[in-house]
Amino acid sequence: MTPRAPLIELNGVTRRFDRHIAVENLSFAIACGEMVALVGRTGAGKSTVLNMIMGTLPPDRGFVRVAGLDPFADFRALGGKLAVGFQTDRLLPWRTALENVELGLQIRRVRKTDRRALAREWLARVKMQSAEDKYPHELSGGMRQRVSLARALAVDPEIILLDESFSQLDHVTSKVLRTDFAELVRSLGKTCLFITHRIDDALEMADLILVLAAPAHVVLEVRPRTELAGGAASAAELQGRIAAAMGGDEEDGPPGELVRTGSTGAR
Amino acid sequence: MSASRESEPPRRGSKSLWRLTFGREDWGDRIAVVVVIVLIIAAMEIGSRFVPDYILPAPLAILEALVQFFTHDLGQIVVTLLRLAMAVVFSMLVGTLIGALMGMLPALRPFLSSLMIIDTGIPALSWMLIAIFWFKDAEIRIFFILTVILLPFYAMNVHEGIRALPKDWLEMVESFRPSRWQVLRYLITPHIAAYILLTTKSVIGYATRMVIFAELIGATVGIGTRMGLAEATFRIDQVFAWTVFLVALNAILQVLVSAAEKRLLRWRPELEVR
Repeated sequence: MTPRAPLIELNGVTRRFDRHIAVENLSFAIACGEMVALVGRTGAGKSTVLNMIMGTLPPDRGFVRVAGLDPFADFRALGGKLAVGFQTDRLLPWRTALENVELGLQIRRVRKTDRRALAREWLARVKMQSAEDKYPHELSGGMRQRVSLARALAVDPEIILLDESFSQLDHVTSKVLRTDFAELVRSLGKTCLFITHRIDDALEMADLILVLAAPAHVVLEVRPRTELAGGAASAAELQGRIAAAMGGDEEDGPPGELVRTGSTGAR
Repeated sequence: MSASRESEPPRRGSKSLWRLTFGREDWGDRIAVVVVIVLIIAAMEIGSRFVPDYILPAPLAILEALVQFFTHDLGQIVVTLLRLAMAVVFSMLVGTLIGALMGMLPALRPFLSSLMIIDTGIPALSWMLIAIFWFKDAEIRIFFILTVILLPFYAMNVHEGIRALPKDWLEMVESFRPSRWQVLRYLITPHIAAYILLTTKSVIGYATRMVIFAELIGATVGIGTRMGLAEATFRIDQVFAWTVFLVALNAILQVLVSAAEKRLLRWRPELEVR
């Protein structure tokens, strides 16, 4: 079996803001079809890393490659290849749910009839077909986040970046949404990099967990599916290792939360 | 799992569109307006019996003069309305462009901003007198006066609108790698539409008064000119009639702009404060 070429690659990346070093000599690679979690405490530099991958920030040293391109220098060339799900839904209030999903397709210059059909299809996939004519203020937080994920996925990107996209939602809604999202992304074979400070999110969704410590550098790599399936570690042990690498207890919720996640194969 | 099992969406406002337009509160307001109008008419009727006609004419005389306008002076009304419409539309377009440049080109912002602040400080009367010196043609005079008065309102408000654009929305749109034109079309234009409408709503009454002043000073046709003529020929009934007409015109224009606002900004939630 030949190793898959990395779709996202960071090599010796350093980024400073004045005297503050946000990212230091960071290297990792993500293969096509992988779902990778960047985990770290607040201030660990996760968002800076994501911004460099999005192409909104250049590295001071080292290089970033996304689908073989420099995301900052070749900003427009990555159009349609990469989509982002944000912490808040960021739906445009003057557009209905359907029109919000159409936004990326409009920017990609997809014909009106095609983009409308695609937007409807994506709203149905995220179980929001009944809300296509509703404005964002008429939807709940979870519903808005579903529409926002449909908007990101509708452009059929190779890579999806998520910036704590489920963290603003209540526990139950967040769990439902991330389970649905993970299933959808895996079924489509997309590559996904998501940042989170919640260990249970990472263990539940990711093939690979990269634990970052400030200034952003990888202090631990965990492949939860492999380790749990092979019996090399229990879910609680993995959670403890990740929490220790992050520099203390998990920030969000007690370790016991993990046993409720289920889909990691922990039980 | 379905989306419907997630937290409940907010309920639509309890007020229906019908109630918002014809609700009891609105009827109350309307009845108050009618009462005030009836009281003014009654006061004028009583007053007209105690003073000469050239001080306070009877409401019936004013009504007769008003009816005459629609049979004899319709052309004057149309000319004034056209002047108003052209100046408002032009100021809206150019003011929006200047506001957009102020918002999008930081290097130009201080210069354009200073220009707009100076412009808003110049009294309307100064512009009217300057226009008489500068331009021979009455149409150009009036167009110039209205434009220099209205333009800064649009420019400043559109600039404020662009400044108020949430950075989150811009980042979201940019994540799809749009061109500058697409950012302008899909994000900035719909966002500033609310500011343009609100500016129009607030300047329309002012613009109506300015066009009348400008016509009075610098034109030979239009409502302002006719009002000047009525004053010169001691036809106070016509002065009152034109005044009534202008008040009604302002009310109609406000209703039209509000209707456009309701239509174009229908996505905005109705807020109810208990």
